Amino acid sequence: VSRFTEAGRRGQGLRGRLLAAFVLVAVPPLLLFAVFVMALVSDRLERAARQRLGQGLDGVRARVSGLQRQADAAVAAIVREKLSSTAVSEDKAHTAADELGASHGLPLLEIIDGSGRVLSSRHWPAGVGLPEGDREVAGTSDLRWETVAEDYGAAERLAVVATRPGTWAGTPVVVRGGFLLDATMLGELSDLMGAEVALRDTARGRWVARADSPLAKAQFDPSKGDGTADISGTVYRWAAAPLGASLWEVIAVPHTLLAEFTRGVRRLTLGVAALALLAALTTALVLSGRIAGPVRELAARARGVGAGDLEHTAVEASDEVGELARAFASMTHELRTSRERLVQAERVAAWREMARRLAHELKNPIFPIQLSIETLRRALDQEGAPDAQRFQALFRESSDTILDELRSLRSIVEEFSQFARMPPPRLAPTDLGDLVERVLALYRARAAAVRIETGLAPGLPAVPADRDLLGRALGNLVANALEAMPDGGTLSVKTRAVEEGVALEVSDTGPGLTEEQRTRLFTPYYTTKKGGTGLGLAIVQGIVSDHGGRIQVQSTPGAGTTFTLVLPVSIMAEATT
Amino acid sequence: MALGAGRSALSALGPRYGGELRIALADAATRIEPSAPRGLAERILAGLVHETLLGVDEEGRARPALAQSWASAVDGREWTLRLAPATFHDGTPVGSADAVRGLRRFLRSESVAAVHLARVLDGGEEYRRGSTDALAGLSALDDARLVLRFRVSSAVPLAPLASPAAAIVSARGAGAGPFVPTTPPSARGVSATAFGRHVRGRPFLDVVRLSTAAATDRGRPDGGSADVTSGGVSLPPATGLLLLLLDPAAPPLAEGRARALIAASVDRGQLARHFLPGGEPADVLLAPTLLAPLPVSAARGAASLTPVSGRLLLKVASDVPQSASQRVVAHLAALGLEVQAVAVPAALAVTTAGPARLLVWYPEVAEAGLALEELAALAGAGPPVRLALEAADSVRDFDRRRAELQRIEETLRGTHVLVPLARLPLPLGARSGVHGLRATASGALLLENAWVEP
Repeated sequence: VSRFTEAGRRGQGLRGRLLAAFVLVAVPPLLLFAVFVMALVSDRLERAARQRLGQGLDGVRARVSGLQRQADAAVAAIVREKLSSTAVSEDKAHTAADELGASHGLPLLEIIDGSGRVLSSRHWPAGVGLPEGDREVAGTSDLRWETVAEDYGAAERLAVVATRPGTWAGTPVVVRGGFLLDATMLGELSDLMGAEVALRDTARGRWVARADSPLAKAQFDPSKGDGTADISGTVYRWAAAPLGASLWEVIAVPHTLLAEFTRGVRRLTLGVAALALLAALTTALVLSGRIAGPVRELAARARGVGAGDLEHTAVEASDEVGELARAFASMTHELRTSRERLVQAERVAAWREMARRLAHELKNPIFPIQLSIETLRRALDQEGAPDAQRFQALFRESSDTILDELRSLRSIVEEFSQFARMPPPRLAPTDLGDLVERVLALYRARAAAVRIETGLAPGLPAVPADRDLLGRALGNLVANALEAMPDGGTLSVKTRAVEEGVALEVSDTGPGLTEEQRTRLFTPYYTTKKGGTGLGLAIVQGIVSDHGGRIQVQSTPGAGTTFTLVLPVSIMAEATT
Repeated sequence: MALGAGRSALSALGPRYGGELRIALADAATRIEPSAPRGLAERILAGLVHETLLGVDEEGRARPALAQSWASAVDGREWTLRLAPATFHDGTPVGSADAVRGLRRFLRSESVAAVHLARVLDGGEEYRRGSTDALAGLSALDDARLVLRFRVSSAVPLAPLASPAAAIVSARGAGAGPFVPTTPPSARGVSATAFGRHVRGRPFLDVVRLSTAAATDRGRPDGGSADVTSGGVSLPPATGLLLLLLDPAAPPLAEGRARALIAASVDRGQLARHFLPGGEPADVLLAPTLLAPLPVSAARGAASLTPVSGRLLLKVASDVPQSASQRVVAHLAALGLEVQAVAVPAALAVTTAGPARLLVWYPEVAEAGLALEELAALAGAGPPVRLALEAADSVRDFDRRRAELQRIEETLRGTHVLVPLARLPLPLGARSGVHGLRATASGALLLENAWVEP
């Protein structure tokens, strides 16, 4: 989006802007859609996970409660029905709890006397005659850490128990029986629920879980209720509920399942969004092409018109752009008609000017010729015999005048001919400094009253130029400058590097030009000099133009005039290539 | 009933040759060469494969084995042993050179009996240290006789020769016991066949197979129906000592008071009666058959009420009955100790270190003086005890020596490093139809006279 926006901002065309507009219009809704869908799915999955964990906790609590009821019923039955009839000889006493527990399905059963000494124990027979070492879980009497025989010693195991007072052979005793909340039972619960089930005694910092349960390595605080925890590189979502003041039931499921599902939904949503975006972009490309194509074509036509191409080509479009194209075509047609009329008029005007100038130029020498011939005729037709010596002098004077005027006529004809026959330049690498020195050398003798200065920049690149043509142009400028300073002054010729190539400046300190003179300076046959043809600067401009350069003039009345020729150097590369 | 009657009739006919006896044990024997046994499996295997020059009876007196007779001279400091005509499993005759070679190897072994013999034998200590190969106290007179010369006179000079580590083997390592091993010992077990030219005659059984219980259960289609299993009805006499060995350098046992409380806390009567089938309470270190006990006075009831706190790692040998270990742990817990019991292989229970060890101890040689030397070594007893034992060994008068040994036993026990708890029989039970099994005071199983009904 930013790229399209940037493209539009940088003015990379109507199509780019249209595309950017499409993207800006299409992307936010798609993103919003994707975010909304993902948030919705995550929320639902989160709720489902929480519900599942909650149900798991309920299941564990129900199982513990069920065991507690079962233990309570069995212990009550033992106390009520069996205890009084059980033999109490020393040998039998050791095995009494084992037998009673087996008959009532209680893996834990202990008979304890009033002083807390174990009289008989099924799960810790080694403790008979010794003080019981069991501990209640804080806050509940049903859950206890029971000492249980294990391997070569004993271990503390969490148990759900029921305790009832009774009488055994006339001695008040306490009968305690129940079930282990051990790894086996928690493993069964875990398998049943498809989740990791464990118990955590925060007071003792102990986990009760199946042997390979990842929860056994967990470090989180179950009193927080729920959360996620990274256990051995796997993230689990867990929930906990108290079973006692310091005992918590904890259930956990790998968060990765939820995360993977969420990731799948996210990928699907993003895929759909990407497809929609692709479709929008494709549509945008097609539509923007259809809209921008005719506009771009119209722009090309307009550039063609600007360059002088007024040929009409129809632009295919049927909408407003088509209307614009048709209007543009009509305008081009009008322009072409106007230009043709203008060209025709200019051509007529040029011929007229040409005729006028030609008549003017020719009229000047013709009149003296005519006058000289008429003078000679009159002298010849005079009465009497003409004085031979006087006639000869008159004839010589008249013929000289005629010859002078004829030379003038020939000069005029040659100049016109030269202007008409100006050849295309033959470009070759030319050192401008050298050219300047060569041209100035021709004029130094004729400019005794003028001080000539040169300012040639060193190291200028050679310019592609026709030495003869460019020398003639420079000579014209120098001659004009010298003629503008008949009473002396300073002629300055400088070269310098400019951005477009090399600049050649010719300055004089003559009277300068008026604004009107300056604007008409390069018009053919326009001249401010007596006897000038007005073709000199036109020829200079033609030569410079043929070299791919340009000429400009700066003049201040009373302060002088400066002509600047700017010649490119890049044509050189093309010419060389 | 007919079957039962048939079996009774077969039993009444007496021993028969043939048959196979399968013995399943908790641990496997890992070595077959003569050595001080490190567990029941090695004791049984040593008894099957090897033969010593002499045996000892319950009173420590020598009885014939590969040596058929012996005579003393020089005020009891020179003993000449005459060998019985016997053959090794590889068919070579047992000669005095074999006996001398066997005893020289024995003298440099880890056996406590070897230490004792080296101390009293002329040049024995220098030889044992390896400073010389000369051994003036031991030489062969001819092919059938060898002479042992002692530096000092000893009450039981020949008793060390009964150690399983002093068994005589041929130059190629073959034994001379009643059974010939057919497979090398491995984790699965070992098999042996009857040796027809055994010095006391061919045993009745054709084959004896020792295997670990796990291997038996896995390998047999009948689920491991061994003829003799550990954990069955125990085999008297009750000479195995359930011994609690406390390290006086490990807290909280560094205090003598704590060790004394622990020693006094265990109700040995209850332990033996309810947790060790066939066991007897043991207040002293040696069985009465080895050393008659002095009256023991101990105020146990009051002492057990005094708490002792701390953690205690208890290493329990795998041949200790679990119920007995659990009872001991319960007593220690009642004292206030937080006990962690971990099992260690029986063969390693004596050699492994630990703050507290519970093991079944059998003397290497069933003789009171040697047994006390072994216990003194086990307890890391200091020079006074060792000197007292040397002094007692030099007493030739039986009653005086016994009194000395009783005093030493009391001293050893008084440190409460060695806490005797109970005496238990060999934890092996045979199925019906197996006859003639006999356990020795050293915890070995004699199978020479064993036979099975077909």
